[in-house]
Amino acid sequence: MKKINVMIVDDSTFSIAVIKKTLEKIGLNVIATALTMKDAIPLAKEKKPDLITMDMTLSDGNGIDCSKEILSQSATIKIIAISSMMDEEIMSAAKEAGIKGYLQKPIDEDALKSLIEQLFIGEALYKSLQENYEEAFKEAIYSFFKRSIDGDILISKMPLISTTKKSLGISVVVGIIGRHNGRLLIDMSEKTALNLVKKILQDDSQFIDDTIPFLNELANIIGGNACSLLNGLNRAFGLRVSPPTTFHGKDLIISVGNRITQSLLVQTDLGDIEINIGFEKGEI
Amino acid sequence: MELNNIKPFCASVIDVLPQLGFETIVQEDFIKKSQNIIASGVVLTLGIVGDKKGNVVYTIDEEGAKKIASIMMMGMPVDSLDDMAKSALSELSNMLTANASINFSKESIMVDISPPTMLFGNDIELCMTQDIVTSVTFDIDGIKLAINIALE
Repeated sequence: MKKINVMIVDDSTFSIAVIKKTLEKIGLNVIATALTMKDAIPLAKEKKPDLITMDMTLSDGNGIDCSKEILSQSATIKIIAISSMMDEEIMSAAKEAGIKGYLQKPIDEDALKSLIEQLFIGEALYKSLQENYEEAFKEAIYSFFKRSIDGDILISKMPLISTTKKSLGISVVVGIIGRHNGRLLIDMSEKTALNLVKKILQDDSQFIDDTIPFLNELANIIGGNACSLLNGLNRAFGLRVSPPTTFHGKDLIISVGNRITQSLLVQTDLGDIEINIGFEKGEI
Repeated sequence: MELNNIKPFCASVIDVLPQLGFETIVQEDFIKKSQNIIASGVVLTLGIVGDKKGNVVYTIDEEGAKKIASIMMMGMPVDSLDDMAKSALSELSNMLTANASINFSKESIMVDISPPTMLFGNDIELCMTQDIVTSVTFDIDGIKLAINIALE
């Protein structure tokens, strides 16, 4: 990764020296410093740093106005606040101005490091999730069905769903929560659900209501296994699954929203299952 | 116990909806329901993990959903639940749940929420994993919004 160039804005030369030393210690490149808002704005334009650390109190203004001004020139610069003041009001004003993080002085090296990692590694992390989640889910789906029903299991990619899809009969939804949030949706007909539960329990006297606990468990296992695989790939994903909710009804329509999702068709001897997975980028 | 789980959601409705342009918000009595709930219209579900784990499901009938979407879109007429209206409703469920999670954090209960999933249809039977689902209904300018919470 290329070295991150930083500019420090602070009204105290002492603070600038401390922040500079800390940033350099964690491997960043300090390319400019400014004591006032008047100096900071043109300097940011000229030097184009990747990151700015911003004090909230400046002799000729405040860090919020200064950040707004800089971001209006260049929206791609990431600004974090480093200030001795830290209360809810100022933090929410900072967030509104587009400041990506807030640290209180005296700065804690570890906190600064993890904030910077979050800001700069976030993009790469999201990309890695996008590149790997389909495979992880495929593996989890395959191993579940292979172990529980055997026979031929064919998993193929389905065309992208734009916004809505008609449910095949029963849908199970599992929320995925972590560095990036997402959702797993498993959809099948009542007949397929019944076939699966009969086969797995080896009991033909099952009714449709008996399929609900099975479907919940199916979604839980597939979601849990796939998320574990992804977390194993990179712990920073920190994915966890919420308990499943099952929906069942005639003419049920599912809205997948405008999230980028991936749909998989699972063909088994007992019927087809459609699985839709998607993650949001969220704030990076 | 169930009451403690539902209070942050009630506070969220009372706090958030006036900001979106709704005027009278009346909370109806708490109703405890069993595991299965039948709803018609629009259903929005969000997962919750952290110190508490579970789901919240919002249900609104179709007419109510259109009215809510219309008010959220500054009074734009909503004849059918198009993409814009759906996005407004998703956003509402997101705002309400995010706000409830902030209310939980005030009690030192930290939870994270998943993005919403929206479904619609008639007589949708929904089954949440916990044994007890607590439901509360709000009358919002004549629109019935039910919140079903299963958290443990």
